Amino acid sequence: MNWPDPSESYTTLGDGRVATAVECPNTLDALQDAVRRRVAEGLAIYAQGGRTSLDYGGTPLRPGVAVDMTALNRVIDYPAADMTITVESGITLGEIARTLDAEGQRLEIDAPQPDHATIGGVYATNSTGPRRYGSGRPRDQIIGVGFVTADGNVVKGGGRVVKNVAGYDFPKLLTGSLGTLGIISHLTLKVKPKPETSAIVCVGYDSIDVVAHDLARLNTSSTRPVAIELLNVPAAKRTLTEANRSLWTIVLAFEDNAASVAWQIDRIAVELSGTVQSVVQGQAIEPIRVALRDLPTANFGSVSIVANVRYSDVPVLAATVDPGLWTFQSHAGNGVIRLHSLVDDSATIEADVHRLRSSVEPSGGNLIVARCPADRKPSVGVWGSSRPDWVWSEKVKAALDPSGVMNPGRFVGKI
Amino acid sequence: MPATVAPAKMADRSVGERLLAALTEAVGEENLLSRRDELIVYECDGYVIEKNVPDVVVFPTSREQLIAVVKVCHEAKVPFVPRGAGTSLAGGTLAVGGGVMISLTRMKRILEINIRDRYAVVEPGVVNVWLTRALAGTGFHYAPDPSSQGACTLGGNVATNSGGPHTLKYGVTVNHVRGLELVLPDGSTVETGGIAEDAPGYDLTGLIVGHEGTFGIVSKIIVNLARDPEAGRTFLGVFDSVDDATATVSGIIAAGIVPAALEMLDNLMIRAIEEAFGFGFPTEAGAVLIIEIDGLEAGLDPDSHAIAEIVRSNGGEVRKSIAWRTRKEPEYVAIWKSRKSAFGAIGRLSPTFCTQDGVVPRTKLPQILRFIMAVGERHGLRIANVFHAGDGNIHPILLFDERDPEQVRRVLIASHEILDECINLGGSVTGEHGIGVEKMEFMPKLFSPEDLAAMVAIRNTFNPDGRCSPSKMLPMGGGCIEKKNPGHHASA
Repeated sequence: MNWPDPSESYTTLGDGRVATAVECPNTLDALQDAVRRRVAEGLAIYAQGGRTSLDYGGTPLRPGVAVDMTALNRVIDYPAADMTITVESGITLGEIARTLDAEGQRLEIDAPQPDHATIGGVYATNSTGPRRYGSGRPRDQIIGVGFVTADGNVVKGGGRVVKNVAGYDFPKLLTGSLGTLGIISHLTLKVKPKPETSAIVCVGYDSIDVVAHDLARLNTSSTRPVAIELLNVPAAKRTLTEANRSLWTIVLAFEDNAASVAWQIDRIAVELSGTVQSVVQGQAIEPIRVALRDLPTANFGSVSIVANVRYSDVPVLAATVDPGLWTFQSHAGNGVIRLHSLVDDSATIEADVHRLRSSVEPSGGNLIVARCPADRKPSVGVWGSSRPDWVWSEKVKAALDPSGVMNPGRFVGKI
Repeated sequence: MPATVAPAKMADRSVGERLLAALTEAVGEENLLSRRDELIVYECDGYVIEKNVPDVVVFPTSREQLIAVVKVCHEAKVPFVPRGAGTSLAGGTLAVGGGVMISLTRMKRILEINIRDRYAVVEPGVVNVWLTRALAGTGFHYAPDPSSQGACTLGGNVATNSGGPHTLKYGVTVNHVRGLELVLPDGSTVETGGIAEDAPGYDLTGLIVGHEGTFGIVSKIIVNLARDPEAGRTFLGVFDSVDDATATVSGIIAAGIVPAALEMLDNLMIRAIEEAFGFGFPTEAGAVLIIEIDGLEAGLDPDSHAIAEIVRSNGGEVRKSIAWRTRKEPEYVAIWKSRKSAFGAIGRLSPTFCTQDGVVPRTKLPQILRFIMAVGERHGLRIANVFHAGDGNIHPILLFDERDPEQVRRVLIASHEILDECINLGGSVTGEHGIGVEKMEFMPKLFSPEDLAAMVAIRNTFNPDGRCSPSKMLPMGGGCIEKKNPGHHASA
């Protein structure tokens, strides 16, 4: 089977590849049926949610059908007093937020573009935002999952109760699996009460050494920030106001009751060596919060990368990042660094990707190219150097998708 | 899948002698037990209903010795089973079919503590509370604190994905493990995850936590360190009835408060604990709640006032209110010692008891507790309750005399009725103890044939010959194991 001509199909799978057809199931049965039929036709299965990250991962390997999950978008069960919600995977983060808001609750995942991003897509790509420092990662919020495997069966793991150790933890296995084991059809998630109030404090620095000192101080601070973001000037320009134009800016978010937040704002100014440039509270934080949340998938420049390093290595790596080449945003309390390229010189950018990767991998870190022109993917290497456990990822893949039809070519190793 | 595992070949004298020699070479004579009178200690864990003496117990003192032992077992084609402190309550460390038991208790080094990068690297035999002690004064702690933390090992915690009273706010073991090294059943090793977060590839660390030994043996664990709370308040709420206490639990959650812990004890349990420890629990109360909040001192008062009001509005009384800055303050220690020693106290009420571990949605607590009461009346059994109310994780303790076969029969029926009702109410048959051998027959009630087939496929990927922890967690076909005897359990 051949790839369709891009000019004859308008449904992209990412990286310039287009779908042979689109399935848009609106029931679980229809989803199972679609997978069975299309696999029987010899097609690969490419699940799509809000289409916010279609270029993420390797290039689609062989012709296949797009499975648009956005019609599977119902809330299945929301027992607010149990602080859990069970939803179909095609529902957007924004719709979940509106449902939870009615009960004064929220999902603690602040992934980018909530009005487009589906919860299934967020989980498939392990998408996170600044609040992961205070609230954990998507894996920490999921307690149950259902997914449709290549044979059209629904496989479930976990359940709807917050504590449950029966069976293997498929909810964790599916988190970040990029649709390669099956299509996530429904999820049960833990939710939390919304905090009474929030504040954002921006602290400016002219020296990365002082940044390093203050990041270490924040690790043992008597305050409890829920987000610790480090920005270079180009990243600050896209997210903060004119007042914040230091060489480096640490943005701290606090959430709690009013008494606690007020105390933390006072306290942090005493603890840190940097210059507090602005403090915003309540609803006024929204523009900054949204800008920081959405920066990871902002589509400027041609290359976006994500590096994960030891927390203490964040300022070490930051010192080597040229603000003429990259915006730099780090969830610094988690060792996550996100860069977007600012120039079109692909040779320079690619060389810098290799330089950065060779500086993070030897100490156990990793660097993923989240987005780049499809033709550069082979030379730049999307997932970085092979890791010893990938052979086991490949074996797990073979156990659940032996014919390799689920999102082929997109994930690590031969997956 | 291999439906059954070949029985240990130890019966074959020449094979047995060769194996023993090879194991002795791997770990040294001083780290091996093979005399029947020495092995009897290892015939079961906290689940005593099924017993089987392993043919030999080895105690590797390093990962190299562990790998050597597993390779010997692999080459000799004998089944083997890892064991930590043996506090497991579902038979997870039972040597089904005999074979080699690999005790990890001598791999007990804390290899590294790194406060700046918030992790510790430990060997699997490190006792949970040792890590807490090693971290004292640093401002950090390891969050999961099972009631058996004074004895249970971190390797065992990883195998069963242990919880404890503080999981409501802080999560269970899997939420605090960053990476692992797994010794596979053929003696090869793989490292998953790592110190940096979000390593590309599947979350094998998340998959391995809770594997109950069915993938291999964890030889190294990278755990996350959590910040100590700056301060806290622990309240003892006293109620006339269990219903009033459960209404309070719902009220606290509805008010938008996420306590660090929310533990309930019913009257029978209160009396047992009071008799044992004299903490000052009111023996006339229908139920007590231990309610704990933590966070910044500056923010605790509003929640404290709200909790007191919710307790009062549900007909309860806040009998004690402990304001603490560290978890070492005497009154704080005393209240939690009482709670965590609940199972020891039960020994004063009954010669034998069986602790169950079910989960229901938190809002279904009143139903399940009424059901348990009715089950007790119907079968003429005394049932005490102590449980993690905030998580909906119940631990009914069925009291009986194991010398009376009729009581034993009724306890088994009652246990099954309670667990079936947990499933009916949308819950699970285990919140933190695991499936082990005890609850395998419930797996088809919780999971579809497709779910179980996927789990078996994953198990067979890691453990293709089924030689590591055979006959655990997943039903093997051929019907369930008939049980004739409930267990007496020690802790939860």
